[in-house]
Amino acid sequence: MKSTDLNSTSLPLAELRRGDVALVTGLANNSVLPQNANDAALLSRLRDLGFTAGARCEVMARMWLGGDPLVVRVGGSTFALRRAEASAVCVQRLQEQVRPSAALEPKDASAATA
Amino acid sequence: MDATVTPLRVALVGVPNCGKTALFNRLTGSRQKVANYPGVTVERREGERVAADGRVLRVLDLPGTYSLNPTTLDEAITRDVLLGRLVDAPSPELVVCVVDAVHLPIGLRLVLEVKRLGLPMVLALNRMDVAKRRGVKIDAARLAQELGVAVLPTVAVRRGGADTLIDAIESAKWAGHRGLSSPAWQETTAEDAEQFQSDLRGILAAVGYAPPADNDLGKRVDVVLLHPLGGLLVLAVIMFLMFQAVFSWAEAPMDLIERAMAALGAWVGAHLPAGALSSLLVNGVIAGAGSVLVFLPQIILLFFFILALEDSGYLPRAAYVLDRWMGFVGLSGRAFIPLLSSHACAIPGIMAARTIPNWRDRLTTIMIAPLMTCSARIPVYTLLISAMIPNRAIGWFNLRGLIMFGLYVGGILSALLVAFVMKQFAGKRQYSPLMLELPDFQWPHGGNLLLGLWERVKIFMNRVGGIILALMIVLWFLSTYPAPPLDATGPAIQYSFAGKLGALLEHVFRPIGFNWQISIALVPGLAAREVAVGALGTVYAMSAAGDDLSSQLQPVIASGWSLATACSLIAWYVFAPQCLSTLAVVKRETNSWRYPLIMAGYLFALAYIAAFITYRVVAAWA
Repeated sequence: MKSTDLNSTSLPLAELRRGDVALVTGLANNSVLPQNANDAALLSRLRDLGFTAGARCEVMARMWLGGDPLVVRVGGSTFALRRAEASAVCVQRLQEQVRPSAALEPKDASAATA
Repeated sequence: MDATVTPLRVALVGVPNCGKTALFNRLTGSRQKVANYPGVTVERREGERVAADGRVLRVLDLPGTYSLNPTTLDEAITRDVLLGRLVDAPSPELVVCVVDAVHLPIGLRLVLEVKRLGLPMVLALNRMDVAKRRGVKIDAARLAQELGVAVLPTVAVRRGGADTLIDAIESAKWAGHRGLSSPAWQETTAEDAEQFQSDLRGILAAVGYAPPADNDLGKRVDVVLLHPLGGLLVLAVIMFLMFQAVFSWAEAPMDLIERAMAALGAWVGAHLPAGALSSLLVNGVIAGAGSVLVFLPQIILLFFFILALEDSGYLPRAAYVLDRWMGFVGLSGRAFIPLLSSHACAIPGIMAARTIPNWRDRLTTIMIAPLMTCSARIPVYTLLISAMIPNRAIGWFNLRGLIMFGLYVGGILSALLVAFVMKQFAGKRQYSPLMLELPDFQWPHGGNLLLGLWERVKIFMNRVGGIILALMIVLWFLSTYPAPPLDATGPAIQYSFAGKLGALLEHVFRPIGFNWQISIALVPGLAAREVAVGALGTVYAMSAAGDDLSSQLQPVIASGWSLATACSLIAWYVFAPQCLSTLAVVKRETNSWRYPLIMAGYLFALAYIAAFITYRVVAAWA
């Protein structure tokens, strides 16, 4: 298992790879959303689903070729998001590409929340 | 006091997948009624419960929502009912907030929002068994203290699992809550949202909430189901097995019903004096309605699979796997669930499209839903396939089953094509996010499944006993009178109203290979597809001479129709909009005549063209 040091730079959730664990730092401003989206509704729904600052999330699956859509677990619930809405969530990567089985070990979970 | 006369209004509120409907079933048993909210087509599930002291509680199962800021019609209804904004639906006297203990944060956030409305409420902490198993820690007493409402742990899927909740509801102080003015509500501002979040964090910390341990098995299953290729393969296998099962398992009970109907017809024919009444019963009622009733086993099986898949939590995963592919033709992955339900019946499918937030996506889904092979087509397909196609094994599979599968695939492919064409005309549309929750896997619960099936069976039987039976009797009348002249040479039906109408229609349908019997059957078949089979049964029963009255439809078709005619009729049925109820629902859902008219127009055009081509090609080949 490869674990990187805590990276303080914020990046969009859409950039994470399968198995990555990250901390949500906040929601992006509207500029990253598709031009024809209803920004306010989209952002507030992301918030309602639990994508709020401090929440721990993990990318469970991604499609091939661009990873759109992707599956993210946050706050104990699991959601399928498209790249577009996943770009609106800013995160800080905690762990990179944990193998799915390795992510189940308790010591990883405690490392992630620390 | 009036409380004994006027039922007390209880409403269940919660996020999707929190086990709300299972709890609703636990509270009301089978005393439920499904209708629509006035003016809109959101399903209104209401049930009654008689409390220990004899008071009547009217329990409403509100559509699941993540927030009171709605993004879909369903979610708007939940908010409006709580606020007492709907005519005929004053705001509830007691709100039961249902929260999935395993996923406490997302459910609790909604609770905070609902609590602010100031309605009397209790909180059901559901799925406590799973929560314990997965190491979720919640101090329920502390939660009650933090929220200031009663918190009742429940296990909705277990007998007696909601008893404490039931006690709490029945002993709630009701009298003071009557005649409250509508609660105040305003759109959640960014500050409100912040407030909810910090309150939520505070409460979660106070009750010592520890998130669930990862579900090892579920996670491993998801690795396959959510895999870009593996997920598609699993979906294809599930669909294929489902449709194979519908046809092979249903065979025995269908045989049984068929034989019972034939025996009943023979018995009535033998015991009643020959004449108009005997003819009406044998040829109209038994031959007509009976030939539709035969398909009950298939319809039950199909609904069984769809309900079980829905209950297991698999369907949103299939929607995720398909989202990208459906995007090519301008559909959202969310459209998968309404389109799958459309395989049972287009009406619930079209209504389920309400969960699609974007109007364009929703409209496209509605417009292509009737192309999915609904259960009403099963009678027609089964009849024609068993009459014309040999019952031969091909490898592991049955030739008839394969052709049936091909028809399902054909319906889906043509739907995708239509969606693609619609996308070209749509112009620029608003982007609509996927944001679909993938719930935990669970074994479908037998009792809930049976209740869902029973509801569908009731609807089908009402149709058989209502519209189908009525149409059969009208058709019997039309094909019996006027009586043929004494010097008649052909079968009596040719001289009747129906015969003349059929002869007229034959001009329209001859280019696609339909004879006059089919042409007649298509007329009542316009009201509901499966009626055409009954109608053919009646028409052929009426045109058969003397003792041959009880002859079965299948051999008649096998000997009387060309393969080209049968194939052409099947092709017609893939497309033809022969279901007035579907068009009526489209009118209601889109609130305009425009879309049902466009739908009927394009489907008839496709049906005629497809039948024409099929007829010519098969005729040239065979």
